[in-house]
Amino acid sequence: MAKYTITYFPVRGRAEPMRLLLADQGEQWNEEVVDIQEWMSGKSELKKNAVFGQLPRLRDGDFELYQSNAMLRYLARKHGLYGKNEKEAALIDMVNDGAEDFRQKFGKFVWNEYETGKDKYLAELPNQLSPFERILSKNPSGFVVGNQISYADYNLLDVLHNHLILSPDCIDAFPHLKAYVAKLESRPKLKAYLATEARKKRPAHPKDKR
Amino acid sequence: RRSSDLLADQGCEWKEEVVPLNEWHEGKCELRKTAVFGQVPRFTDGDFILFQSNAILRYLGRKHDLYGKNDKEAALIDMVNDGVEDLRMKYLRFFFHEWETGKEKYLEELPNQLRPFERLVSQNPSGFLMGSNISFADYSLLDLLQNHLIVAPDCLKDFPHLQAYKDKMEARPKLKAYLESEAHKNRPIHPTRKV
Repeated sequence: MAKYTITYFPVRGRAEPMRLLLADQGEQWNEEVVDIQEWMSGKSELKKNAVFGQLPRLRDGDFELYQSNAMLRYLARKHGLYGKNEKEAALIDMVNDGAEDFRQKFGKFVWNEYETGKDKYLAELPNQLSPFERILSKNPSGFVVGNQISYADYNLLDVLHNHLILSPDCIDAFPHLKAYVAKLESRPKLKAYLATEARKKRPAHPKDKR
Repeated sequence: RRSSDLLADQGCEWKEEVVPLNEWHEGKCELRKTAVFGQVPRFTDGDFILFQSNAILRYLGRKHDLYGKNDKEAALIDMVNDGVEDLRMKYLRFFFHEWETGKEKYLEELPNQLRPFERLVSQNPSGFLMGSNISFADYSLLDLLQNHLIVAPDCLKDFPHLQAYKDKMEARPKLKAYLESEAHKNRPIHPTRKV
């Protein structure tokens, strides 16, 4: 019986970076799937008890946590994915926060402008991608910070995946990002997870109708 | 501002490097070109350069033992800090982009946004936001509450724990001295609007 449980809607959304992390680290977890209609009905006990009224939730045995980036940091500390010293940890936080900002812009576009704002979003996209291209270009290891994978890599990979659904050639002009995605996706356990039915059947977000 | 509150409260000294807003917007700042995400604040500790305000807070949190006493407390502190950050983002959007049009709606929604923090503080015997000691998240929450009190002076009237929390934080001697300093008092919360 896996000790981790992820409670979330049947999408990748904000739970996917930690799924990528857990899979790549050889961990198993349970999925507790929440029906969106029930969640929005105003009668959800789960929602009333959630610290900020939101999902995902992560359970590790008795320990319960909300806020997707807090979960990533918690799992990072447990699995040695937070750099080798305080400075690396800070830089990893910095890059993750940049990825989070990027995720929020994407989320805002998906929720508010998906039909109407696509051209504008795609025109702006290279400006959003180039800081990450630059960060990767400066790190010979091929990860965002330091010599090994960190929690920020899983988050960034997921943000890139979201964008590749929207525009499959959006990183073609960014050689380091392109190599980065290929490199991460070839990690054996991550590769295996990406090929699972569970992953393939899960929409990226509620507007992903593939 | 949260980092300066933290540093002041921890008895540290620091230098302020002020960036003129017009120069920033006109693209005349070298800093803007070299900033990792094209943004400020930037934090420098000797040779070490860091961007992203919450990364800076976490870095200082680790250095000054403001990150809980174990991994679980650290995770909970991260969780509540991220909750503060979510409200801070809503506040910034309202304050900088919807001041005329969105004020009524924002203030109407505000109690629902503050309630989780009232609950957290009320549930914590230490009186801090999370854990048995002050953490970096407390400086975040204090700043958030102070900003809201400027635009809505009675926003804590139904939240006695948050009111007591704010008073307790502001009474901490080093922090109190800093909050009363000319440097802090002369720093506006908005570049042009007189609030």
